[in-house]
Amino acid sequence: MTILTEAVARLLLAPSLIVAAAILVKGYVDVGDGFAAAVVVALAVALQYLAFGARRAEEELPVLRFAPRAAIAGLVVALISGFFSVLSGRAPFTHEPAVGERPFHIGRLELMTAVSFDVGVFLLVAGALVSLIHHLAEPAEEIDEVAAR
Amino acid sequence: MPQPTSPPARVAARDPLAWAVALLALAAFAACVVLWRTGGGTVDVAWASELDLRLHFSFDGIGALYALLATGIGAAVFAYATAYLPLHLDHQARPARDRWRFWPWMGLFMLSMVGLATAQDLILLFVLFDVTAVCSYFLIGFDRHERASRLAALMALLVTGIGAVAMLIGAVVLYADNGTFSIPELARLLHAQDAAGGVSTGTSVAVALIAVAALVKSAQVPFHFWLPRAMAAPTPVSAYLHSAAMVAAGVLVIGRVFQLVEVSDVVQDGLLAVGLLSIAVGGAISLTRDGFKQVLAYSTISQYGYVVTLYGIGGRDGATAAAFYVVAHAIAKSALFLTAGTVTMATGCRRLSRVGGLRRELPLLAAASALAAATLSALPLTIGFFKDELFFRAAAERSTALAVLSVLAAALTFAYTWRFWGGVFLGERRAGAVDDPGATTTPLTPTPALLTAPVVVLALLALVGGIVVGPFAELAADASGATLGHAVHLHLAYHLDARETWMAALAWLLGALLLATPKAWGPAARALSRAGERFGPSRVYELALDAANRCSDALHGFEVRDLRSRVAAVLLPGGVLALLGFLATPTAGVFQVGTIHGTDLLIVALLALVAIAAVVVAVTHQHIAIVLSLAVVGLGLATVYALIGAPDVALVAVLVETVVTLVFLAIVAYAPRGERPSRRELAGEASAPQRRAHRSRRWRDPLIGAVAGGAAFLVIWGALSRPTATERVVDELVRLTPEAHGQDVVTVILADFRGLDTLVEVTVIAVAVFGVIALLRRGRTW
Repeated sequence: MTILTEAVARLLLAPSLIVAAAILVKGYVDVGDGFAAAVVVALAVALQYLAFGARRAEEELPVLRFAPRAAIAGLVVALISGFFSVLSGRAPFTHEPAVGERPFHIGRLELMTAVSFDVGVFLLVAGALVSLIHHLAEPAEEIDEVAAR
Repeated sequence: MPQPTSPPARVAARDPLAWAVALLALAAFAACVVLWRTGGGTVDVAWASELDLRLHFSFDGIGALYALLATGIGAAVFAYATAYLPLHLDHQARPARDRWRFWPWMGLFMLSMVGLATAQDLILLFVLFDVTAVCSYFLIGFDRHERASRLAALMALLVTGIGAVAMLIGAVVLYADNGTFSIPELARLLHAQDAAGGVSTGTSVAVALIAVAALVKSAQVPFHFWLPRAMAAPTPVSAYLHSAAMVAAGVLVIGRVFQLVEVSDVVQDGLLAVGLLSIAVGGAISLTRDGFKQVLAYSTISQYGYVVTLYGIGGRDGATAAAFYVVAHAIAKSALFLTAGTVTMATGCRRLSRVGGLRRELPLLAAASALAAATLSALPLTIGFFKDELFFRAAAERSTALAVLSVLAAALTFAYTWRFWGGVFLGERRAGAVDDPGATTTPLTPTPALLTAPVVVLALLALVGGIVVGPFAELAADASGATLGHAVHLHLAYHLDARETWMAALAWLLGALLLATPKAWGPAARALSRAGERFGPSRVYELALDAANRCSDALHGFEVRDLRSRVAAVLLPGGVLALLGFLATPTAGVFQVGTIHGTDLLIVALLALVAIAAVVVAVTHQHIAIVLSLAVVGLGLATVYALIGAPDVALVAVLVETVVTLVFLAIVAYAPRGERPSRRELAGEASAPQRRAHRSRRWRDPLIGAVAGGAAFLVIWGALSRPTATERVVDELVRLTPEAHGQDVVTVILADFRGLDTLVEVTVIAVAVFGVIALLRRGRTW
């Protein structure tokens, strides 16, 4: 890949992640949700892979190797957010705060279990897509190398 | 002089994971004791009341008995495994982190056994049954580099999993007839039906299916073959799963649903027959086996045969004796399994013909396992004496024939138990691991104390149970009370003049006779074992698995050979059916053409662009052009969504379209040629029959595409022309959105109103991704 693509990829990474974070955080009041945010993250990561190649991209972003764990964590978060209400005898996906109650605020951010469920979906989809990119990006001979080790 | 403890064992003492799980078991045991003494408790949560799905757990007598076994034996076995597992991994030169493939599954298995013991709902029973099956799959296949382990794990999973499906079918049939999955409710309803003139055949079949699932789990003939194979597991797994947990789950279920079984005489007689057959087959084959764990596995089949027989006899005597039998057997059998593991660790041998005379080198282990063997063969002063006393009493009360059979069964137990113990600890010391019989005896590898201590603890427990039998009798009586639905009292003591004592003495005599005359019965038993291997149910399993594999291969080949025909096979019937539907329904006035004004012109222009791109996709031959045209279709439609006021859909459409285009481009990069071959090229290169095929396809594919596309067009036009009740649902959702503290309807629908759907969908994503990873990397997640 050319210097131009590398430069563009480097420049675009942070803004894409900010956009993803914005989509995720604003999901409950504005366009977008956890799924869309996760796809934006995956696209940003895919761009790094395209520009730098799998090995360099993973060297520069070592955090990527936590992707499978993020996916599992996301599933757990989603399950807990959806099913915690069962413990107190209510139907699944009975969210807190209930209808008519005021949500808990941090600044203008409203904390709700529906949002944590969305965060779980985000983690799961982002982790899953990044894992897939990793596995599809690594060429076959490297797989053999790994298997031989 | 070797060190008293080998290095891996000392590492074990510091392994926090192992000790955490072992201490969890101990804490759970203490909690279960407290719960039992204080009368237990009930948790009943209707988490999906529309489907009558409830989390209904009750710590009753059965719950207490099996939970105490699962946690108590669990604590002993886990303590043993803290020392065993590092040695095991060390022998196989595997990294210490492989213990993460062991301990979590052991812990989960114990918890699911406790759940199974207390579950009061057939669906819950089914789910936990499957959880234990999945755990057992990973535990039996722990040595996954060995083919035998993998096949054994798969066999245990498939056989017990298919059995569990039988239970699900039975549960659903009962639900269809009675409207509840709750076992106490069902028991009440079925007894009322029984009193009113007998239950229907459907109910009997349903109950029989549940019983079959239980018999499969308890490894009863003819579903017993998975258990001996499962001995490929590490010894602690065998000691736990195949003495106190997994196989016990089967009889646990019979005990739990016994009141349903009672109403059907056929099912109960079937239990009796299967139980007796299992005692005979398991016992006879156990006498022919050479591997320690094989002997013990077949003896387990035989021992659970006793329990099933007792449930077949039924009534107060049968149910009480069955509960007591499970306790005594679990204590003794787990001790014997652990003994086998320690002996293997010390000598490196796993066969009776390779060891012997170990009583001098391992005196403590010999004494402890002698107590366990005495328990299993029902000698006095052990808890086992009472298990046989209750067994004899239940059998003799039923009929004389059963009394005779029960004495023979006890004699068989005596013979195979002491054959195992004598083979290991008596006689001359043999060569050891070396195959050459002339080699000198190798010195024993020193084993850590933790490989003996749990056996001693279990043996002492068996001894205490033989002297202070009160608590154990109370436990069995409580379990029997929960099984039968009314309180049961059990008092046990030694009566020298009782009929049962004489039956026991006769059994010991016959057993000793069997032990002394191996030549008399050896050929017959070995012939039975060989016939079982050649024509038995394990052969049926192998043939069925082969057939399923071949069928799947054939289907796959058929699907892959001609992808276009497969797609056509979906599109054409779909299109034709939709068109037929339009012919059958009155359509006058349904199709309306609306008006176009203002910004609609932009949408029309975009749709025209999309249509042009779609035509390009259909006619072009260049791969890149196809991919880019598809991208134009997708992004054009996304823009249309944005213009007609669906920004959420548009955002997701743009993102997904981008991903799809990138993936397509990546695939094109891998493709061998840059172009799809044109028709002329195909016609030039192809042979005569291929040319004919292409000529027919030339008209076939566009025709099928036109039919399917036309039908889809009509359906969408019809749907859009007639706004229906669905809009009112949408209005309702929009109205409710602020109450759910949200402003974006789509996100609120996804996360709140339809949250369960979303959860299931993302779970599918997770499963699919990990499936891909498993295929690409053999399970390496990164």
